[in-house]
Amino acid sequence: MKLKHVMIVLKKEIKDLIRDRRTIISSIVLPMILIPLINIVMGGSIQKLEKDMNENVTVALSQSSNTAEVRELVRDRILSKNPNIVLVDADDPARAIENDEIRCIIDVENTYAEKLNKGQPIKITLQYDESKTKSQAAAEIVSMAVGEFSAEVVEERIVAMGFDPAILQPVQVEWENIAPADKGNNMMLEMLLPFLISMLIAIGGIPAATDLVAGEKERNTFEPLLTTLPDRGSLLLGKYFAVTLFSFVSLVAILVGLAIGYMVNPNSLTVGIDSGLQGIMLDPLAIVLALLITIALGMTFSGIQIALSTIAKSYKEAQTYLSFLMLATMVPGYATMFTQATDLSPVMFALPVMNTVAAFKMLLGGRIDYFNLVLALGTSIVFVAVTLAFAASLFKKEKVMFRN
Amino acid sequence: MIEVIELVKKFGDFTAVDNISFKVNKGEIFGLLGENGAGKTTTLRMLATMLRPTSGRAALKGYDTQKEPEKVRAQIGILFGGETGLYDRLTVAENITYFGELNGMSKAAIRERIRYLAQAFGMEDFINKRAAKLSKGMKQKAAFARSIVHDPDIMLFDEPTSGLDVTAARDVHDFILRCKEEGKTIVFSSHSMSEVDKLCDRIGVIHKGKLVDCGSVEELKKKHGDDDLEELFVRLVGAK
Repeated sequence: MKLKHVMIVLKKEIKDLIRDRRTIISSIVLPMILIPLINIVMGGSIQKLEKDMNENVTVALSQSSNTAEVRELVRDRILSKNPNIVLVDADDPARAIENDEIRCIIDVENTYAEKLNKGQPIKITLQYDESKTKSQAAAEIVSMAVGEFSAEVVEERIVAMGFDPAILQPVQVEWENIAPADKGNNMMLEMLLPFLISMLIAIGGIPAATDLVAGEKERNTFEPLLTTLPDRGSLLLGKYFAVTLFSFVSLVAILVGLAIGYMVNPNSLTVGIDSGLQGIMLDPLAIVLALLITIALGMTFSGIQIALSTIAKSYKEAQTYLSFLMLATMVPGYATMFTQATDLSPVMFALPVMNTVAAFKMLLGGRIDYFNLVLALGTSIVFVAVTLAFAASLFKKEKVMFRN
Repeated sequence: MIEVIELVKKFGDFTAVDNISFKVNKGEIFGLLGENGAGKTTTLRMLATMLRPTSGRAALKGYDTQKEPEKVRAQIGILFGGETGLYDRLTVAENITYFGELNGMSKAAIRERIRYLAQAFGMEDFINKRAAKLSKGMKQKAAFARSIVHDPDIMLFDEPTSGLDVTAARDVHDFILRCKEEGKTIVFSSHSMSEVDKLCDRIGVIHKGKLVDCGSVEELKKKHGDDDLEELFVRLVGAK
C-alpha cells in the first residue's frame, strides 16, 4: 500500500464527487437548507401555538347558565384577573366550539348564589373538546382562574370569621436555583444537537459510498481500475477517505445551515422550545476529544458504507442496503436522544453513535468526565479498525468483487 | 512474453478454467476463441491479476501473476468490450491522466503522452470535454488512449467489439493492429471467427474452460482439414 496511490485515488474521487450534482444536492445543499428551515418553521409553529393557546382564550357560558348574574360573576370576579380570557356570547356554545369560535364553555349551576351565601361548594363545569389542543389549553387556563376565584372566596370567608387568612398556608415553599451561572438549562439543545451531529456524520457519506464502489461497478469503471498499478488496499483507502471527507463536508454544511438559521431566528436551534446556548462547556480538551470521537464515528460508518456498497450487485441494491443502515443508525440515536447529560452511563460511551451523542450531551450539559470521553475515543478507534478491516477483506474477496 | 501453465480457476464446484496452457510470443496477437461462458474473461482476469488462479501459474514478461502482481500490472494495458468504462464526470484528459498517475507516470510524461495520443487518435477537439458529453465513437477513442497511456508492452482485450456496430468494431480492429505495429504483445478474446481470422497470429480455442486446440489459423485449418474457421470451431467444440 502506497500513500501516493491513496492520494491519487482520493484526489480523483473528490473531483468526481464535486461534479456529481446528485450527490452534492442530496448530501449538502438540501440538508443545509432543509434542516434549518424545518427547525425555523417547526419552531415558529410551536411558538405560535403556545402564543395562540394563551392569548384570546374565548369562552362562553352554557345556555342554562347564560344569565346576566352569572355573566357578571364570571366576567367581573372569576375572569377579572385574566385579561387574556374573553367571555363572548354564543347561541349554541357546543357548535361554537366545533366551529372554533370559542374554546371552552363555562357552566355554573343555577343555585350558585344561594350556595355561595350559605358557604356551600358550588359546581362549575368546564366543557371542552379534547381533540383540540387550544380547547384543552383553554379549559386548563379557565380552571386556574376558577381556582384563584375559589381561593379568594375562602379568604373572604376566613376574614369574615375573624381569622388571619395566613392560617390556611402553614408552610410556604420557596424555589432557589443553586446551579452555577455557567450551567444553564439546554434541555432541547442537548436533545437535538448531539443527535443531529451523530446522525449526519454517520449517514452523510452514503451518497458518496454508493457512487464510489457500486456506482463504479455498474458503470464498468471498476475493472480497469483494478488492472492499474496500485494494490486494492490503496484503492480502498482512497475511496474510504473520500467517503469520510464527504460525510464531514455534509456535516459542516448542515452546521453552517443551522448557524445561519440561528442568526435568522435564535429559537430555530431548539425548535422554538427554549432559547438554547446557555452554559455550554467550552473546555478545549473536551471539545477536541468530542471532535475526535465524531471523526472516528464518521470513519466507522464510511467503512460500513464502503463494505455494503462493495457487497451490492448494483447501484440500486447499494441504495437499499444503505437505507437500512440509515434506519439502523437511528436506533442508538433515538435511544440516547432523551437522556440528559447528568444521566449518561459508561455503556453509552462504549457504543457507536451513542458515544458521539453522549460526548456532545456532556459538552452541552457542562459536565465533563474525561474518563468517559477517553473511553468513547478508545472504543471508537476499535470500531474504525474493525469496519475498515471488514471493508478491506471484502475488497480482496473475488466472489464479492466480481459478483455481477 | 506470456506463459500460461496448467492454469485452473474454480468458483466453488464450478471449474471456469480447466488446466489450460499456452504461450504468447513478443509482438504476437493471440486470440482466445470461445463461446460465451467458455472461460475467456476468467483467463484474462487471471492474467491481469484481478483473480487468483486455483492452481497453475501465469507469467507476463517473466513476472509471476501471483508473486509479483504489481509488476505484472505495470506491464499491461486492458480494454474491455461493451461500456468504455470512462468516468463520465471527468474530461478525456482527466480520465487519461488518472490512469497515467495510477500507473506511476510523472506529470510531465502524462502531459506529453496526452498530446501524442490526442493527435494519434484525432481527439484534439474533445480532449477537454467531459466523457458524458461525448459520442460513442469519441468515448471509444478515449478508452483506447487511456488503456495505452503508460505505453504497456502487453495488451489484453476482452471481447472489445462486443455490442459495437461495424464502424466502431473496425476502429477497434485498427487499434489492435496499431498496437501490434508498436510491438506490443496482445491477447485478444472473442467469439467472432471473422475478427479472430483477420487479426490473430495464433489462436487458442477454449470451450467449457478447456483449451481444445491451439496454433496459427493456417495450422489449425490444415490440421483439421477445413478452410472455414466457423466449421472448424463448431467441429472442435462439438467434439468435446
